[in-house]
Amino acid sequence: MTMNTNRLRLALTKGRLQDKSVELFEAMGLDGSPIRNPGRRLIHSIPNYPLDAVLAKAPDVITYVEHGVCDLGIVGKDTILEQGKSFYEVLDLGFGRCRFALAVKEGSDFYGTYKTRRIASKYPNVARAFFEKKGMDVDIIKIEGSVELAPILDLADAIVDIVETGATLRENGLTPIEDVAQVSARLIVNTASMKLYQTEIEDFIARCEAELEKRK
Amino acid sequence: MKYTINTPEGTRDRLFAECRDRRRVQNALTALFRRRSYAEVSTPEVEFYDLFLQSGNPMPQEAMLKIVDRSGRILVMRPDCTTPIARVAATKLKTLPLPQRLYYDETVFRSGAEHRGSSGEIAQCGVELIGAAGAKADLEVVALAVDALRSCGLERFHIELGHAGFFKSLAAGMEMDGETVEKMRALIEGKNFAALGDLLEPYADRSACAALARLSRLFGGVEVLEEAQRLAGKNEALTYLHDLCRELEAAGYGDFLRFDLGLVHQIDYYTGVVFRGYVEGAGDAVLSGGRYDGLVAAFGRNAPATGFAIDVDAVAGCLSAGEPPRLGVLVHFAPGQLARALTAVDGRAGGTCELSPCETLEATLSLAREKGAARVLVLEQQGERLVDVP
Repeated sequence: MTMNTNRLRLALTKGRLQDKSVELFEAMGLDGSPIRNPGRRLIHSIPNYPLDAVLAKAPDVITYVEHGVCDLGIVGKDTILEQGKSFYEVLDLGFGRCRFALAVKEGSDFYGTYKTRRIASKYPNVARAFFEKKGMDVDIIKIEGSVELAPILDLADAIVDIVETGATLRENGLTPIEDVAQVSARLIVNTASMKLYQTEIEDFIARCEAELEKRK
Repeated sequence: MKYTINTPEGTRDRLFAECRDRRRVQNALTALFRRRSYAEVSTPEVEFYDLFLQSGNPMPQEAMLKIVDRSGRILVMRPDCTTPIARVAATKLKTLPLPQRLYYDETVFRSGAEHRGSSGEIAQCGVELIGAAGAKADLEVVALAVDALRSCGLERFHIELGHAGFFKSLAAGMEMDGETVEKMRALIEGKNFAALGDLLEPYADRSACAALARLSRLFGGVEVLEEAQRLAGKNEALTYLHDLCRELEAAGYGDFLRFDLGLVHQIDYYTGVVFRGYVEGAGDAVLSGGRYDGLVAAFGRNAPATGFAIDVDAVAGCLSAGEPPRLGVLVHFAPGQLARALTAVDGRAGGTCELSPCETLEATLSLAREKGAARVLVLEQQGERLVDVP
C-alpha cells in the first residue's frame, strides 16, 4: 500500500499462474478484467476492490514483496524454495500444482556408486538443500535452459527439476526416482504490510480462504 | 576491472542528504537515551568470532563478515551490538551496581545476500537495560521504544509485543519431538496458515493444539490477548502481557501498541517479552528487541537484561528529507582580517556562508556565481561592504 491511497498492491507471477489467479479473483467477486486486458498499463486497478496488481516474473514477485513495494504476491513454491524468504507465506492457493523431482537416465543406478554425483538444475539451492538433508556431497551445476540435456550429454548424473506430467522426461529417456518437494502457488505477504494494513489484508485473505474452502 | 573506484557490494558512499538525515535520527535518539539516564558505550568494530558463538547469538555464521588475523584466529566485523555489550557488562562493569543503563550508536556489519539491494553496513542505535528483571524494566524499555520512534518525528508506527514464554509453554504441552517443534515454530514465524493446520492435525487431542493452530493469526489489537486466553486458558505469559498493556495504556502509550503472539523468532535467545517496531514506509521492522535473561550469564555474570536496536537508516528513509542549507554569502577578506572573517562565518547558520580562498575580488565574484551565492561580504582593513553578485 502506498501511503494515503488505502489500496493494497499485489505482485502477480506472469504466465501460467496469472490466468489461474485471475480465475480465483473472479470467483472471489473481484473484477478481473483489467488484468485480462492489460493493454499498455503496468499497474492494473481492480475497479470493485481496493487492490492494484502488477505483473512480474516469479523471482521479482519475491523481491517486490520483500522490499515492501508490493504488499502481497502470488508466486510458485518452487521460486520460494529457490530464493529463500523473509515474508509471510500465508496460503496455499491450490493451483499450479507440480513437484520437484530427482530424475536420472533410465536404467542408471544413481545411489549404487561411491563417485561424487553431479546434479544439473535450474534450481541449485533446492538441489543443494535436498542433498544436504540426505547428508550427501554432490556437485551442483547450474543450467539455464533444457536441464534434460545434461544427463543425455553426460554432463550430469541426475537432474533436479519441475515435473508436471513426466512426459518430457520420458521422451528424453529420463525417469524420476524421487520426489524432492511439492509445488503450488502461494499467497505471500510483506511482514510490515501485514501489521500496518492488517484489516485490509485480512479481508483479502479471508475472501481467498472462503473460495479455497468451496473448491475443496 | 579496477577495484579502486567502486565500493564493494553491500557498502555505499553516503553523501550530504543521506548523512544529514542519518545524523538527525541519531541525534534525536541519543539525546532521548541520555535524558533517560542511559550512558554511551562503544565496543570494537572487530571481535573474536568465538564471542558470538559462545553467546548463543542466533545469527548464522554466513551472515557475519570474517577476517583471519595474523595468528590465524577468526575475527568478525561486529554483527550486533548486544553481545559485545553483554561481554562488557559481565567483565569490565562487574563491580558496578546493577541495573546499568547503556546505549550505543554504532555500525553493525552483515554479509548479506548478493543483489538484494540491502546494505551490509547498518547504522544502529539502541539501549540495553542490564540487571533488571520484571515488569517495571520491561515497561521502561517498551515506553522508551515508543518515545524513541516518536522523537525521530514518526507518527504512524506500531510497537508490537509478543512473549517468548507463550509459545514455549504451549509447545511443552504437545509432547512433540524437537524437530516437529522447530517445524511448527517456523510455520508460525512465516504465518503459514494452512500448512500449520496440516502439521497440527495429528495432535488435535492435545489441549494446547487449538491455541497453536491459531497462533500465526493471533496478531492485532489487545483483543488477541483475550482470544488467546479463551483458546489456551490461563497462561502466565498472557497475564504478563495483559498487565504490561494496562500499565502502558494508563501512561498514554496505548495507541502505539499492537500484539503478535506469533512472534517466535530466535525463540532460544529471547526469554520474555519480545517486540518490534513497524513504520509506514519501511518494508520491514525498523526496531527490534526483547528480554534475553541468559545472555550476560553466558559471560559469567547472572544479570537479566532487556533492550532494543533501531535501524537508523530505515527510520531516516521514512522521514521527509530535511532541506539542505543554501550558500548565500562568500566572505572575501583582506590580509590580516582572518579573525573578522571567521566571526562573520560563525555568526551565520551552518552551510549558508563560507570563506573565499581567492586572492582577487573578481575571482571571488566569479566563484560566488558558480556556487550560486547571492552576495559577497568584502572585509577590508577598514570597514566592510556587501556586494551583490551580478
